[in-house]
Amino acid sequence: MTRIAELVTANSAGHMHGYNYAYLDELTKKEIRRGLLKAVAIPGHQVPFGSREMPIARGWGTGGLQITLSLIGSGDVVKIIDQGTDAGVNALNIKRLITRTTGLETTEDTAEATVIQTRHRIPEERLHKHQILVLQVPLPEPLRLVEPSEAKTRQLHADQDYTKAWVYLYEDIVRNGQLTHAAGYPVLVDERYVMATSPVPRWDVPRFHQADCLFLFGAGREKRIYAVPPRTDVRPLDFADYPFDVERFPQGCAICGSTTTFLDEHPAADGVARTYTCSDTAACEKRVAGGVLDPWPSFSNSRSRE
Amino acid sequence: MKELLRVVGLEKRYGPGCPTCVESTGPERDTNICPWCGSVVALAAFDLEVFPGETVGIVGESGSGKSTALACIYQDLPPTAGAAYFAPFEGGARSTFEANSQERRALQMRHMGMVYQSPALGLSFHSTAGANIVERLLAVDWREVSGMRAKAGELLWRTEVPMDRLDAFPGTLSGGMQQRVQIARALANEPPLLLLDELTTGLDVSVQAGVIDLIRALQQETGAAMVMVSHDLAVIRLLAPRSIVMRLGHVVERGLTDQILEDPQHPYTQLLVSSTA
Repeated sequence: MTRIAELVTANSAGHMHGYNYAYLDELTKKEIRRGLLKAVAIPGHQVPFGSREMPIARGWGTGGLQITLSLIGSGDVVKIIDQGTDAGVNALNIKRLITRTTGLETTEDTAEATVIQTRHRIPEERLHKHQILVLQVPLPEPLRLVEPSEAKTRQLHADQDYTKAWVYLYEDIVRNGQLTHAAGYPVLVDERYVMATSPVPRWDVPRFHQADCLFLFGAGREKRIYAVPPRTDVRPLDFADYPFDVERFPQGCAICGSTTTFLDEHPAADGVARTYTCSDTAACEKRVAGGVLDPWPSFSNSRSRE
Repeated sequence: MKELLRVVGLEKRYGPGCPTCVESTGPERDTNICPWCGSVVALAAFDLEVFPGETVGIVGESGSGKSTALACIYQDLPPTAGAAYFAPFEGGARSTFEANSQERRALQMRHMGMVYQSPALGLSFHSTAGANIVERLLAVDWREVSGMRAKAGELLWRTEVPMDRLDAFPGTLSGGMQQRVQIARALANEPPLLLLDELTTGLDVSVQAGVIDLIRALQQETGAAMVMVSHDLAVIRLLAPRSIVMRLGHVVERGLTDQILEDPQHPYTQLLVSSTA
């Protein structure tokens, strides 16, 4: 056995010696939970927290990881995904850290998980009220593009002054003829705060609206936590004549044939021909194996504003 | 409230301040720096009434407090003392200086329009001319791109800026055009009060005449009241039937513009009139 392997041998409770349960010390977890409670109480509002040094680099999911570690306990089943897949290097490393410091079970099946930590995607299977989705956030401030000063963006949020964000969208349309945000599309949460939807594609944005599950967002580098509680209104910012729309794909998944999921594009060697496969690999595998998926409500483009 | 705007006892001081600041400064003392505490009294005991649809001129030399008064009224600058009652703001029951930051923004975006002396202050040069105008429409919840572009185009047409410059950046426009885009922006939500700070200063004479014609026409069209700051007596005579004359932070004379210019009472006004004639 190597020295490292010796260090990480499990104790009787199933987790590593020499570390507190779930890596973080209890006071840190308490502080993060307090921040989470505040974030849930004020949907879409960014709550500062004292982001700790983690054994992975900032920008690699430390915000989401700290939230996950402060939430999980016995009985939880954890799923970690990166760009939709459970097999990404980052996802595997985070999963390994969690299992070694808690001894908890992990899963790739969305339906089985109680806490799901993700980067870039909301799983294709609908989440329910016993589930929490933790999103890793690189840029929590939706107004950063239009206002570089943190002091000023805070004042703009306090005043609910989102004119600059709207001007940005207007100029996007004038310049490009359409809304071009590929990821992190700005949304209005609970009719109050404009929030960055982390780097999820537009495809996933409608899923935040009136969901059954709890969404928690953690930005480790920027030291911010925010949340979308269950049954909360989440509306993408758009114009009556340029409504928000999700991505469209010219063909279905090459593996499972799905035409109702978000697809990754794979250029062929000639750089011209393309194939598409499901971004959510777990859902794709489940479908291939003949399993039944519980999908999110499908997005209708007919400007679904009641 | 008969008036659209009533400003009472406005004062703006920079510095620590002392009980004798106001009485130790002003035209009689020939300074606006308090000899006891060194504070600059930029504006003191400033009163102003503006009735709906009328134009009031403010004249005075550099440093007389004209722009400070305008900046306080427009909520750009918090005054040291005084009150301003503005009919669209709670019917004039509460001073606009007690407004919180949300109310202040509504005052600026909906109920008042400001044209700054320098277009660099009034326009964002990182946004197109159209976006500068559309920003005010977005602030009052316009949410249709085609409608906003039509409105911005109409405003540019009314201010005689070529419509094909709608998506041009202000930096690529001439000074006169920039000033017109500022006017279009100020007019966007058809506010009942327009504040114009040295509107024609820095423009060449032919453009000046054009801008003055424009303001006259717009006033007849929209019925907006205007407070117009200028050190150019000719402009004030053309546009403002009623005026106040300021020096060293104090109002030295007020009344009908013709009367003030034909029969100036205060020595400073006499000097001002004789030097322009």
